[in-house]
Amino acid sequence: MMEVFRVIVSVLSAVAIPALMLFFLAYGAFKKVKVYETAVEGAKEGFEIAVRIIPYLVLMLVSIAVFRASGAMDVFITLVSPITDLFGIPAEALPMAMMRPLSGSGSLGIMTETMQAYGTDSFIGILVSTLYGSTETTFYVLAVYFGAVGIRNTRHALPTGLLADFIAFLAAVFFVGLVL
Amino acid sequence: MLNHIWLALIVIGILTAAGRDVYDVVQNSYGNGIPWDVRLEDDAAARAPVSQKGGVRTAALSLRKTVQISAAELRRHFPTDTIDGGVSIPAVYMQHEDGKRSLVMDVTGEDVPERFVVMAEALGGGEKLSAQLERKGDGWRMRIDDVSLVYLRKVTNAAFEIAGVAVQIAIGLIGIMALWLGVMRVAEQAGLINHLARLVRPITVRLFPDVPADHPAVGSMIMNISANMLGLGNAATPFGLKAMEELDKLNPKHGVATDAMVTFLALNTSCVTLIPATAIAVRAAAGSPDPAFIIGTSFLASLTATIFAVIISKLLSRVRIWRWERSEAE
Repeated sequence: MMEVFRVIVSVLSAVAIPALMLFFLAYGAFKKVKVYETAVEGAKEGFEIAVRIIPYLVLMLVSIAVFRASGAMDVFITLVSPITDLFGIPAEALPMAMMRPLSGSGSLGIMTETMQAYGTDSFIGILVSTLYGSTETTFYVLAVYFGAVGIRNTRHALPTGLLADFIAFLAAVFFVGLVL
Repeated sequence: MLNHIWLALIVIGILTAAGRDVYDVVQNSYGNGIPWDVRLEDDAAARAPVSQKGGVRTAALSLRKTVQISAAELRRHFPTDTIDGGVSIPAVYMQHEDGKRSLVMDVTGEDVPERFVVMAEALGGGEKLSAQLERKGDGWRMRIDDVSLVYLRKVTNAAFEIAGVAVQIAIGLIGIMALWLGVMRVAEQAGLINHLARLVRPITVRLFPDVPADHPAVGSMIMNISANMLGLGNAATPFGLKAMEELDKLNPKHGVATDAMVTFLALNTSCVTLIPATAIAVRAAAGSPDPAFIIGTSFLASLTATIFAVIISKLLSRVRIWRWERSEAE
């Protein structure tokens, strides 16, 4: 069952991009759109957006890098672990849960280390890889997406993203516990 | 909120680094100024002199040796660490023309104390830790240069390094953004994105009540979320940024996030995952017997998170400090 699902999705993800490109461009040509000229106009916009992101991305990533390099994460984990214990969250998975919203490469490293230490298919190993697979790097996404349109007042975006990450973590603990 | 967290990460980071460095100085965690009593043993595997590559002739004689450091010595120098036992570290022994002797330890080994790795890095030797040697009885006395302010230095290096990396990420986005927004523009001109938007109208009018159902933003958001579900990160980002641009056209207050933007990002960051490709690849590389096992758990966890994310984004938009009416445009 899972295998069939996996094959379908992996075929889909391989075919999606070329199929989409072909379909969009062919449909455009069919509708008598000047395909190349129009595409170039769009491409210029893409260039501008990518450049516009730079200051937002630099400042966001620097602040996260400073936090990570200082080792403040370890201190932070010691502080919050009494609270997370109340939720029945295993302490071994806390570094992953903390790092995941902050840094993609950082959480990838933690996932690898944790699996090496506790085994890839142990409860902790499955939990950290489920966590990595089921959530995004919230801070990075916010910096890039808001940066692209020059949003500085992000209102409730960050609390929403972080709460959702926390829910994902609790859900991961629950579902991994259920199947193991 | 983002403002405060951003500032907090930097301030906490720098203060923690400074605090740890002060602690290390007070405790003398690196054993600064205390000479080491060690033994040198011939490396049975390689007794021959080390060949001098690149014509560097700083030493008259250099030999491969193994440095034996007892547990007592490690405890004496690293008072804040837990020491399990003594170690032996491969090293190159050098006798210089002026009669001085020195030692270069290779700290890449498994049982080398973490402290040595940090010291090598801090002293600028990378994976090599240098020391001066003197004869003492039938053993040797070893001196290593003082190490201090390790964390503050780390913070500085990390900040400079990542600033460059951030620009590289953005530059790397240029190509993929140009390609996809080019293709996307054609589909938009042909009216295809509007068709797509109308197709999912029943869902989107509820999720984004402020966005007209046939607005181009809807088409881009759908494309972004579909690409994310399939794990096509490279295609997802351009669609997503395009969606943000379109949403910003509906934004009367420049520089302030709209409810629709926040709901969209909530959907995006918690996105339902059909195939967590990277996590599966890492599991496979780590030797898991069943790397794809996490597909089911990831799907369920991300589905739960997505549902809650939408609800949370709606609820929090009503919290007083985040209310749209109270948010001033610049």
